[in-house]
Amino acid sequence: MIPFSYYALLSLILFIIGFLGVLFRRNLIILLAALEIMMNALIVLFAAISHLSKDITGYIVVFFLIGMAAAEAGVGLTLAILIYKKLKTIYTDELNYFRG
Amino acid sequence: MLGEVLVFFYLASAMVISSLLAVVSRNPVHAILWILVMILHQAFMLYTLGSEFLTAVQIIVYAGAVLVLFLFVVYIINLRREERWRIFVERSSLGLVCFVVFLYLLFKNLAFFTALSPAFKANLPYHLAEATNLQWIARYLYSHYLFQFELIGVILLVVVFGAVYLLRKLKEES
Repeated sequence: MIPFSYYALLSLILFIIGFLGVLFRRNLIILLAALEIMMNALIVLFAAISHLSKDITGYIVVFFLIGMAAAEAGVGLTLAILIYKKLKTIYTDELNYFRG
Repeated sequence: MLGEVLVFFYLASAMVISSLLAVVSRNPVHAILWILVMILHQAFMLYTLGSEFLTAVQIIVYAGAVLVLFLFVVYIINLRREERWRIFVERSSLGLVCFVVFLYLLFKNLAFFTALSPAFKANLPYHLAEATNLQWIARYLYSHYLFQFELIGVILLVVVFGAVYLLRKLKEES
Protein backbone atom coordinates (compact mmCIF):
# COMPACT_ATOMS: atom_id res chain seq x y z
CA MET A 1 0.00 0.00 0.00
CA ILE A 2 1.49 3.28 -1.09
CA PRO A 3 1.06 5.94 1.61
CA PHE A 4 -1.30 8.79 1.01
CA SER A 5 1.42 11.41 1.35
CA TYR A 6 2.97 10.22 -1.93
CA TYR A 7 -0.26 10.87 -3.75
CA ALA A 8 -0.68 14.19 -1.98
CA LEU A 9 2.85 15.17 -2.97
CA LEU A 10 2.27 14.16 -6.59
CA SER A 11 -0.95 16.15 -6.63
CA LEU A 12 0.82 19.12 -5.09
CA ILE A 13 3.60 19.03 -7.68
CA LEU A 14 1.12 18.79 -10.55
CA PHE A 15 -0.92 21.63 -9.10
CA ILE A 16 2.19 23.81 -8.78
CA ILE A 17 3.20 23.04 -12.37
CA GLY A 18 -0.25 23.96 -13.60
CA PHE A 19 -0.29 27.11 -11.53
CA LEU A 20 3.10 28.19 -12.87
CA GLY A 21 1.79 27.53 -16.36
CA VAL A 22 -1.21 29.76 -15.70
CA LEU A 23 1.06 32.45 -14.34
CA PHE A 24 3.83 32.46 -16.89
CA ARG A 25 2.40 31.41 -20.23
CA ARG A 26 0.86 34.04 -22.42
CA ASN A 27 -0.91 31.83 -24.92
CA LEU A 28 -4.55 31.64 -23.90
CA ILE A 29 -4.94 28.04 -25.06
CA ILE A 30 -1.92 26.83 -23.11
CA LEU A 31 -3.30 28.74 -20.15
CA LEU A 32 -6.51 26.72 -20.36
CA ALA A 33 -4.46 23.54 -20.73
CA ALA A 34 -2.55 24.43 -17.57
CA LEU A 35 -5.92 24.80 -15.85
CA GLU A 36 -6.62 21.24 -16.97
CA ILE A 37 -3.36 20.13 -15.34
CA MET A 38 -4.51 21.73 -12.09
CA MET A 39 -7.84 19.94 -12.39
CA ASN A 40 -6.02 16.64 -12.95
CA ALA A 41 -4.03 17.20 -9.78
CA LEU A 42 -7.31 17.41 -7.91
CA ILE A 43 -8.52 14.24 -9.62
CA VAL A 44 -5.46 12.31 -8.41
CA LEU A 45 -5.95 13.65 -4.90
CA PHE A 46 -9.64 12.74 -4.67
CA ALA A 47 -9.12 9.28 -6.15
CA ALA A 48 -6.29 8.58 -3.69
CA ILE A 49 -8.40 9.73 -0.75
CA SER A 50 -11.25 7.55 -1.89
CA HIS A 51 -9.01 4.53 -2.45
CA LEU A 52 -7.17 4.74 0.83
CA SER A 53 -10.16 5.53 3.04
CA LYS A 54 -12.38 2.92 1.30
CA ASP A 55 -15.08 5.48 0.68
CA ILE A 56 -16.92 5.94 -2.59
CA THR A 57 -17.44 9.71 -2.34
CA GLY A 58 -14.05 10.63 -3.75
CA TYR A 59 -14.72 8.70 -6.93
CA ILE A 60 -18.05 10.49 -7.31
CA VAL A 61 -16.24 13.80 -6.89
CA VAL A 62 -13.75 12.73 -9.57
CA PHE A 63 -16.65 11.96 -11.90
CA PHE A 64 -18.12 15.41 -11.34
CA LEU A 65 -14.70 17.02 -11.71
CA ILE A 66 -14.24 15.41 -15.12
CA GLY A 67 -17.63 16.72 -16.18
CA MET A 68 -16.83 20.19 -14.90
CA ALA A 69 -13.47 20.14 -16.67
CA ALA A 70 -15.20 19.36 -19.95
CA ALA A 71 -17.63 22.23 -19.42
CA GLU A 72 -14.84 24.60 -18.46
CA ALA A 73 -12.80 23.69 -21.53
CA GLY A 74 -15.82 24.25 -23.74
CA VAL A 75 -16.53 27.72 -22.39
CA GLY A 76 -12.86 28.72 -22.26
CA LEU A 77 -12.12 27.66 -25.81
CA THR A 78 -15.25 29.39 -27.09
CA LEU A 79 -14.07 32.59 -25.46
CA ALA A 80 -10.57 32.05 -26.90
CA ILE A 81 -11.98 31.78 -30.41
CA LEU A 82 -14.16 34.83 -29.80
CA ILE A 83 -11.22 36.86 -28.53
CA TYR A 84 -9.10 35.79 -31.48
CA LYS A 85 -11.77 36.72 -34.02
CA LYS A 86 -12.29 40.10 -32.41
CA LEU A 87 -8.77 41.14 -31.48
CA LYS A 88 -6.63 38.96 -33.81
CA THR A 89 -4.44 37.79 -30.97
CA ILE A 90 -4.63 35.33 -28.10
CA TYR A 91 -1.51 36.43 -26.24
CA THR A 92 -2.59 37.74 -22.91
CA ASP A 93 -0.18 40.66 -22.82
CA GLU A 94 -1.58 41.99 -26.10
CA LEU A 95 -5.21 41.85 -25.03
CA ASN A 96 -5.77 45.54 -24.40
CA TYR A 97 -9.33 45.81 -25.63
CA PHE A 98 -10.42 47.49 -22.42
CA ARG A 99 -7.26 49.61 -22.38
CA GLY A 100 -6.09 47.74 -19.31
CA MET B 1 4.49 -4.75 -3.23
CA LEU B 2 7.66 -3.72 -5.00
CA GLY B 3 5.89 -3.82 -8.34
CA GLU B 4 3.17 -1.58 -6.99
CA VAL B 5 5.72 0.97 -5.82
CA LEU B 6 7.60 0.80 -9.11
CA VAL B 7 4.40 1.33 -11.10
CA PHE B 8 3.48 4.26 -8.91
CA PHE B 9 6.87 5.90 -9.31
CA TYR B 10 6.87 5.35 -13.06
CA LEU B 11 3.39 6.86 -13.40
CA ALA B 12 4.17 9.75 -11.08
CA SER B 13 7.44 10.66 -12.78
CA ALA B 14 5.87 10.36 -16.23
CA MET B 15 3.00 12.62 -15.21
CA VAL B 16 5.27 15.23 -13.67
CA ILE B 17 7.73 15.25 -16.57
CA SER B 18 5.07 15.37 -19.27
CA SER B 19 3.14 18.15 -17.56
CA LEU B 20 6.37 20.11 -17.14
CA LEU B 21 7.12 19.66 -20.84
CA ALA B 22 3.57 20.72 -21.64
CA VAL B 23 3.99 23.92 -19.68
CA VAL B 24 7.42 24.85 -21.04
CA SER B 25 7.11 23.85 -24.71
CA ARG B 26 6.72 26.77 -27.06
CA ASN B 27 4.77 24.95 -29.75
CA PRO B 28 1.10 24.72 -28.66
CA VAL B 29 0.49 21.47 -30.53
CA HIS B 30 3.39 19.84 -28.70
CA ALA B 31 2.03 21.16 -25.41
CA ILE B 32 -1.41 19.66 -26.03
CA LEU B 33 0.14 16.32 -27.01
CA TRP B 34 2.24 16.28 -23.83
CA ILE B 35 -0.95 16.84 -21.86
CA LEU B 36 -2.39 13.87 -23.70
CA VAL B 37 0.56 11.76 -22.47
CA MET B 38 -0.06 12.99 -18.93
CA ILE B 39 -3.75 12.16 -19.10
CA LEU B 40 -3.15 8.62 -20.35
CA HIS B 41 -0.73 7.98 -17.49
CA GLN B 42 -3.21 9.46 -15.08
CA ALA B 43 -5.93 7.19 -16.39
CA PHE B 44 -3.74 4.21 -15.58
CA MET B 45 -3.08 5.67 -12.16
CA LEU B 46 -6.82 5.81 -11.56
CA TYR B 47 -6.86 2.12 -12.47
CA THR B 48 -4.21 1.36 -9.88
CA LEU B 49 -6.35 3.34 -7.43
CA GLY B 50 -9.08 0.79 -7.93
CA SER B 51 -11.53 2.46 -10.29
CA GLU B 52 -11.75 1.00 -13.77
CA PHE B 53 -14.84 3.08 -14.56
CA LEU B 54 -13.03 6.36 -13.98
CA THR B 55 -10.18 5.14 -16.17
CA ALA B 56 -12.62 4.71 -19.03
CA VAL B 57 -14.29 8.06 -18.34
CA GLN B 58 -10.92 9.80 -18.14
CA ILE B 59 -9.79 8.43 -21.49
CA ILE B 60 -13.12 9.01 -23.23
CA VAL B 61 -13.79 12.50 -21.91
CA TYR B 62 -10.29 13.95 -21.66
CA ALA B 63 -8.35 12.23 -24.42
CA GLY B 64 -11.36 11.81 -26.67
CA ALA B 65 -13.25 15.06 -26.25
CA VAL B 66 -11.42 17.82 -24.39
CA LEU B 67 -7.98 17.46 -25.97
CA VAL B 68 -9.44 17.07 -29.46
CA LEU B 69 -11.32 20.31 -28.78
CA PHE B 70 -8.05 21.95 -27.75
CA LEU B 71 -6.31 20.68 -30.88
CA PHE B 72 -9.12 21.96 -33.11
CA VAL B 73 -8.87 25.41 -31.56
CA VAL B 74 -5.08 25.39 -31.99
CA TYR B 75 -5.58 24.52 -35.65
CA ILE B 76 -8.26 27.19 -36.13
CA ILE B 77 -6.16 29.95 -34.64
CA ASN B 78 -2.96 30.39 -36.59
CA LEU B 79 -0.08 30.94 -34.28
CA ARG B 80 3.34 32.34 -34.47
CA ARG B 81 5.96 31.27 -31.99
CA GLU B 82 5.65 32.73 -28.55
CA GLU B 83 8.46 35.11 -27.80
CA ARG B 84 10.57 34.94 -24.72
CA TRP B 85 9.81 37.47 -22.09
CA ARG B 86 12.41 39.26 -20.09
CA ILE B 87 12.56 38.38 -16.43
CA PHE B 88 10.85 41.07 -14.42
CA VAL B 89 11.71 39.78 -10.98
CA GLU B 90 15.23 40.91 -10.25
CA ARG B 91 15.80 39.19 -6.93
CA SER B 92 15.11 35.59 -7.75
CA SER B 93 17.23 34.34 -4.84
CA LEU B 94 14.77 35.82 -2.36
CA GLY B 95 11.95 34.05 -4.17
CA LEU B 96 13.86 30.80 -3.95
CA VAL B 97 14.19 31.19 -0.19
CA CYS B 98 10.44 31.82 0.12
CA PHE B 99 9.75 28.79 -2.09
CA VAL B 100 11.90 26.52 0.08
CA VAL B 101 10.22 27.77 3.23
CA PHE B 102 6.75 27.16 1.80
CA LEU B 103 7.80 23.72 0.60
CA TYR B 104 9.03 22.88 4.10
CA LEU B 105 5.72 23.99 5.60
CA LEU B 106 3.80 21.89 3.08
CA PHE B 107 5.87 18.78 3.84
CA LYS B 108 5.35 19.38 7.53
CA ASN B 109 1.60 19.54 7.09
CA LEU B 110 1.43 16.43 4.93
CA ALA B 111 1.92 14.28 8.04
CA PHE B 112 -1.43 15.55 9.26
CA PHE B 113 -3.23 14.06 6.28
CA THR B 114 -1.67 10.63 6.68
CA ALA B 115 -2.70 10.51 10.33
CA LEU B 116 -6.31 11.25 9.41
CA SER B 117 -7.36 8.23 7.42
CA PRO B 118 -7.53 5.24 9.86
CA ALA B 119 -9.77 7.17 12.25
CA PHE B 120 -12.92 7.01 10.14
CA LYS B 121 -12.21 3.73 8.42
CA ALA B 122 -14.42 1.81 10.86
CA ASN B 123 -17.95 2.85 9.92
CA LEU B 124 -17.84 3.37 6.21
CA PRO B 125 -20.43 1.99 3.82
CA TYR B 126 -18.04 1.07 1.02
CA HIS B 127 -16.70 -2.48 1.03
CA LEU B 128 -14.89 -3.55 -2.06
CA ALA B 129 -15.56 -7.23 -1.54
CA GLU B 130 -19.30 -6.82 -1.71
CA ALA B 131 -19.53 -5.35 -5.19
CA THR B 132 -17.21 -3.96 -7.82
CA ASN B 133 -16.22 -0.34 -7.93
CA LEU B 134 -18.42 0.33 -10.95
CA GLN B 135 -21.48 -1.06 -9.19
CA TRP B 136 -20.82 1.10 -6.15
CA ILE B 137 -20.37 4.21 -8.24
CA ALA B 138 -23.60 3.49 -10.12
CA ARG B 139 -25.47 2.82 -6.88
CA TYR B 140 -24.36 6.09 -5.31
CA LEU B 141 -24.57 8.18 -8.44
CA TYR B 142 -28.18 7.29 -9.11
CA SER B 143 -29.40 7.44 -5.52
CA HIS B 144 -27.45 9.77 -3.22
CA TYR B 145 -26.01 12.03 -5.88
CA LEU B 146 -28.83 12.03 -8.40
CA PHE B 147 -29.44 15.76 -8.18
CA GLN B 148 -25.77 16.60 -8.66
CA PHE B 149 -25.56 14.15 -11.54
CA GLU B 150 -28.41 15.85 -13.34
CA LEU B 151 -26.93 19.22 -12.49
CA ILE B 152 -23.78 18.25 -14.40
CA GLY B 153 -25.97 17.42 -17.39
CA VAL B 154 -27.67 20.83 -17.16
CA ILE B 155 -24.29 22.55 -16.90
CA LEU B 156 -23.05 20.83 -20.04
CA LEU B 157 -26.26 21.79 -21.84
CA VAL B 158 -25.80 25.42 -20.82
CA VAL B 159 -22.22 25.26 -22.09
CA VAL B 160 -23.44 24.04 -25.48
CA PHE B 161 -26.06 26.80 -25.65
CA GLY B 162 -23.53 29.43 -24.61
CA ALA B 163 -20.93 28.34 -27.16
CA VAL B 164 -23.46 28.26 -30.00
CA TYR B 165 -24.95 31.62 -29.00
CA LEU B 166 -21.60 33.40 -28.69
CA LEU B 167 -20.22 32.14 -31.98
CA ARG B 168 -23.49 32.76 -33.81
CA LYS B 169 -23.54 36.37 -32.68
CA LEU B 170 -20.03 36.70 -34.04
CA LYS B 171 -21.11 35.31 -37.38
CA GLU B 172 -23.94 37.80 -37.69
CA GLU B 173 -21.61 40.72 -36.98
CA SER B 174 -19.10 39.86 -39.65
